Amino acid sequence: MSDFLIETKQLTKIYGEQTAVNAVNLHVKKGRIYGLLGRNGAGKTTIMKMIFGLASITSGQVEVFGKNIKGRQKSVYPRIGAIIETPGFYPNLTGTENLEIFAKLRGTAAPDAVKNALTVVGLPYKDKKLFSKYSLGMKQRLGIANAILHDPELLILDEPTNGLDPIGIAEMREFIQKLSAERGKTILISSHILSEIALLADDIGIIDHGVLLEESSMEELKQKNGRYIQLRVSDVPKATLILEQRFGLAGYSVQDDETLRLYDTSLDMAAVNKALVLQEVSVLSSQLCNDTLEDYFKKITGGEGIA
Amino acid sequence: MLKLVETEFLKLRRRKLPWVMLLAAFVMPFFAFLFYSYLGKKGVDPLLFYKMSALGFTMFIILPVILGVLSTILMYDENQYDMLKQLWIVPVSKLGYFFSKFFMILLYSVGFMLLTAVGSIAFSVLPGIVAFSWGSAFYLLQKCLEIGVLCAFGLLPILAVAASQKGYILPVCATLVYAFLSFFLMSFNLYLHPLSSMAAIVMRNNDIPGLAFTGAPNLPLAFLCIDVWGVVSVWVADLALKRK
Repeated sequence: MSDFLIETKQLTKIYGEQTAVNAVNLHVKKGRIYGLLGRNGAGKTTIMKMIFGLASITSGQVEVFGKNIKGRQKSVYPRIGAIIETPGFYPNLTGTENLEIFAKLRGTAAPDAVKNALTVVGLPYKDKKLFSKYSLGMKQRLGIANAILHDPELLILDEPTNGLDPIGIAEMREFIQKLSAERGKTILISSHILSEIALLADDIGIIDHGVLLEESSMEELKQKNGRYIQLRVSDVPKATLILEQRFGLAGYSVQDDETLRLYDTSLDMAAVNKALVLQEVSVLSSQLCNDTLEDYFKKITGGEGIA
Repeated sequence: MLKLVETEFLKLRRRKLPWVMLLAAFVMPFFAFLFYSYLGKKGVDPLLFYKMSALGFTMFIILPVILGVLSTILMYDENQYDMLKQLWIVPVSKLGYFFSKFFMILLYSVGFMLLTAVGSIAFSVLPGIVAFSWGSAFYLLQKCLEIGVLCAFGLLPILAVAASQKGYILPVCATLVYAFLSFFLMSFNLYLHPLSSMAAIVMRNNDIPGLAFTGAPNLPLAFLCIDVWGVVSVWVADLALKRK
């Protein structure tokens, strides 16, 4: 069996003449948090719907737990918990009553499953407050409680922090991390909020206009993601000449008439500074920089940033 | 399936309208009581009273409209609050979901008609308008059960419409049109509309005073009409639910 709980191969979805998802190869590893990052309308929800068989697959395939999913594969549902778009519940019922309905439908055997799920998300058990009176944050929490009610191995969370205030977002993040770290859940989470994914995910997939542009672990991404030395000098042409001749440097770019970016971060900066000063080039500043994930997102999507 | 039906009951907690609508079961028995009280008649033929209280407007208009509204109520929340996706991934089968709603309609319909029967007997016997007899009471009970069961099947098209819609306006309007359409079509052909076919089955013995067909009703054709509409409705509902 492969190491991936979810694997898509050339997954494609076409609505009419619009390609919503284009040949996506997604790999969600067991026990990790996979962040699917993309702007609104990038195709994140469509991918999740196809994983569940809630949207038909135009071409390609989805494997969940090593099983090829065609349409609604009921045998895998008990092993998955999910929030797809905004979680809806019966407004005339309390949170506990809503979960009791889903527990009954799932045939959840554990007698205190509802109580446990509510406790995990910090909602009161047997509270009299109706779902219609819940705040957005409470609704999202109830959605997650419903997703973990049957103790699934895999959680698929579509924009779970949507509409939450900053404190709510932080709490949700902490909670999702805890689920992964303490309970060993594999989590596929989508978001259009870059900082959210950056703080949460172990692996990241960047999707834009239905195309998965990048897929790697956050560690790899941080490593390859635009580390450079920013050097401000009094004479850029002279400095580049020295760097090329003395240090054999080829990987650099000129930003403006006093700024250079050196992409070889292994350079001995003390030696560089000394060489420049000896050749009467003043070094105004030199610092090791990292492109932010947003810069990277801009670069690979070739366009605007993301929140 | 049993689980689905059980949860349907749980979903109705704190919903007042379905219970309030049950009061409509007493509307025609009460009007029949007023009518015969106004005339000052005693010892009226029970069948005449029951025709007015249970086997007339209740069968043709009140029950179908009430069931149409109930169909809309049962489908509304899940459609409106985008809950179907959550149910599908439980997983709940789409046809199982539809039939659990139908089962609720069936139970409600039978319950409604039993209340009508009880109301009819109470409003006729207690004021002394009708002399109680077991024969007439059983006759009424039998007819009410027939109406209750058949009307639920006859309302399958409305349940299918409610399943395919997000809002409630179209299903409710469709219910009104559907109920009144059976009246119009009845004069042309009894077997075009499920509700007129239901009437043909209920009145098969021409034993309801003042309500009679010119010829003997064709029962196989009446059942076929209800069946065909039912099958088409289930098919349409299945298609509609698959899209959601």
